[in-house]
Amino acid sequence: MTEEPSNNVRTAAMRYVFEANGLCKDFDEGRVRALRGVNFRIAQGEFLAIMGPSGCGKTTLLQLLGALDLPTSGSLLYRGVSLPALPDPALYRAREIGMVFQAFHLLPTFTAVENVQLPMFEIERSASQRLKHAINLLKSVGLEHRLNHFPGMLSGGERQRVAIARSLANNPSVLLADEPTGNLDSENAHHILDLIIRLKRERQMTLVLVTHDPSIALLASRTIRMIDGQIAADPPAPQSH
Amino acid sequence: MTFFTIIYRGLQRRPVRTGLTLVGIAIGIAAVVALVGISRGFEQSWASGMKARGTDIVVSNMGSALAPKPFRAAVRDAIAVIPQVAATCAIFVDLTGIEDSSMMVVSAREWGGFSWQNLKLVAGRMPKDALEPALVLGQNAAEALKKKTGDSIQLESTELTVVGIVDGGALVENGSVILSLPLYQKLSGNEDKINIIDVRAVPGLNSDELKQLCARINHQIPEARAMPAGEHVGNSEAYRFIRAMSWGTSLLAVIVGVLGVMNTMLMTVFERKQEICILLAIGWKRQRVIRLILWESALLGLLGGIGGVTIGCAGVKVLETLPAIHGLLEPDLSPRLMVMAVTIAVIVGVISGIYPAWRSSRLNPSLAMQG
Repeated sequence: MTEEPSNNVRTAAMRYVFEANGLCKDFDEGRVRALRGVNFRIAQGEFLAIMGPSGCGKTTLLQLLGALDLPTSGSLLYRGVSLPALPDPALYRAREIGMVFQAFHLLPTFTAVENVQLPMFEIERSASQRLKHAINLLKSVGLEHRLNHFPGMLSGGERQRVAIARSLANNPSVLLADEPTGNLDSENAHHILDLIIRLKRERQMTLVLVTHDPSIALLASRTIRMIDGQIAADPPAPQSH
Repeated sequence: MTFFTIIYRGLQRRPVRTGLTLVGIAIGIAAVVALVGISRGFEQSWASGMKARGTDIVVSNMGSALAPKPFRAAVRDAIAVIPQVAATCAIFVDLTGIEDSSMMVVSAREWGGFSWQNLKLVAGRMPKDALEPALVLGQNAAEALKKKTGDSIQLESTELTVVGIVDGGALVENGSVILSLPLYQKLSGNEDKINIIDVRAVPGLNSDELKQLCARINHQIPEARAMPAGEHVGNSEAYRFIRAMSWGTSLLAVIVGVLGVMNTMLMTVFERKQEICILLAIGWKRQRVIRLILWESALLGLLGGIGGVTIGCAGVKVLETLPAIHGLLEPDLSPRLMVMAVTIAVIVGVISGIYPAWRSSRLNPSLAMQG
């Protein structure tokens, strides 16, 4: 039975972080069906890779997990709480979810340390606490020497490190990464992936990563393969920790 | 970094566009400051002129023209006998071009009336009698007309000698050409006509009693209307027209400012669509995005308002130095007007930001995943 919608999602002791049943997402008034009855479970602490060709619905699925959009039908639970029924999805995104994008999406008029502070405005923290926390996060991704650099002054790998630090700003329990190495050369991609996996382990986060790269998917504890808005292959989810 | 840093960076993003928008608001607010300041100053300088003459009540027939309409001089005698009226002085005031000056106050006063008493001679003398072809100039009028004692001035096709320069204790008085009423009536063909009666009430009347006295005068004198001196100009149709024009022009300037800020903020929202979506995707509430846009537009208004007040004050000061109106303009550039102008600018900013803020709040955070 589904719990009443609440943003106190961390207190709900559920076996799975995410549970989706018959999840559908249509666009353009139903003319485009991005997800067609998707079912899956994601356990706490799992590293799930989502693979599939372009347009198969990977990113749409990630958007629904991040409460960036609403499903057309079906149910999607986060720790037993219905995500579409959340009274304040922004608070869920701020507190529970860290997002890493393929194109980094740093704000160009803010320095690295300022970009990392941006998500912290929805959490009770003083300006000095925000700054201190942002510096620590940038140190944890090896960018203590780039604190006051604007994104335009950073390499692609450095920008993605800043974006990763930003995604961790509010100590999320889930990291959603949309092709995080897609815009990087192989060497930087390797470093970024190592960094994400290390941080996931250290912080005991659940990681959902969308990728085209089979070699990255090999590092995941489980890989879902999607085709035409449906899951083509999904090994059973491990029991939640 | 504070929320204000984010607001400030938003404006810094496009400095040229922000600068041009600020100039647009500043010009609008400068118009408010200059026009309203000048019109208020006009009213105040007339009121201070009345005060300098020791006038408690003004009886006139202010129509839509700047100068009151003439009426029978005998009205003065009817007022003089009303209880609580201590003294009266019949005046004919006209606004006319004299030589190089396009607009000059000509104040023809009842010979021996109390309205001569506040005039202090700075140079020369007063006219010897009511019909001597002579006049005195207020200090500023003498400066504007470039006249000194002994020079002549052509008035109503007659050459009159400037026999004295006076300090009237108020800007309007100092900007006037002053002569005796009988002389002016004769020159202008307005025998037995006046258009203002200065009335002094018996000492000790409070404002309510003054209004009651006005009501008694109005009851007995249908040709003209009595008003306490301070309200005289403010209630005239001409002044109301000037005030309406100044506010109307200011309103137009402000509307231009609103459209300018709205355009800028809409452009900002369109250009920063993905940035806003990213902020929403990383957990910002829609209300915070709305606040961000409203604060940015309010800050534009505030900065534009401060700039506008500065430009408006500087512009009026420059106007005051122009030879044609030097000494004849006493704008009201009070702190109250400046605060009002900046407040208007901030309100303009906030109002202009409402629609762009609403648009920004409708953005779908999933757009952050694109591009």
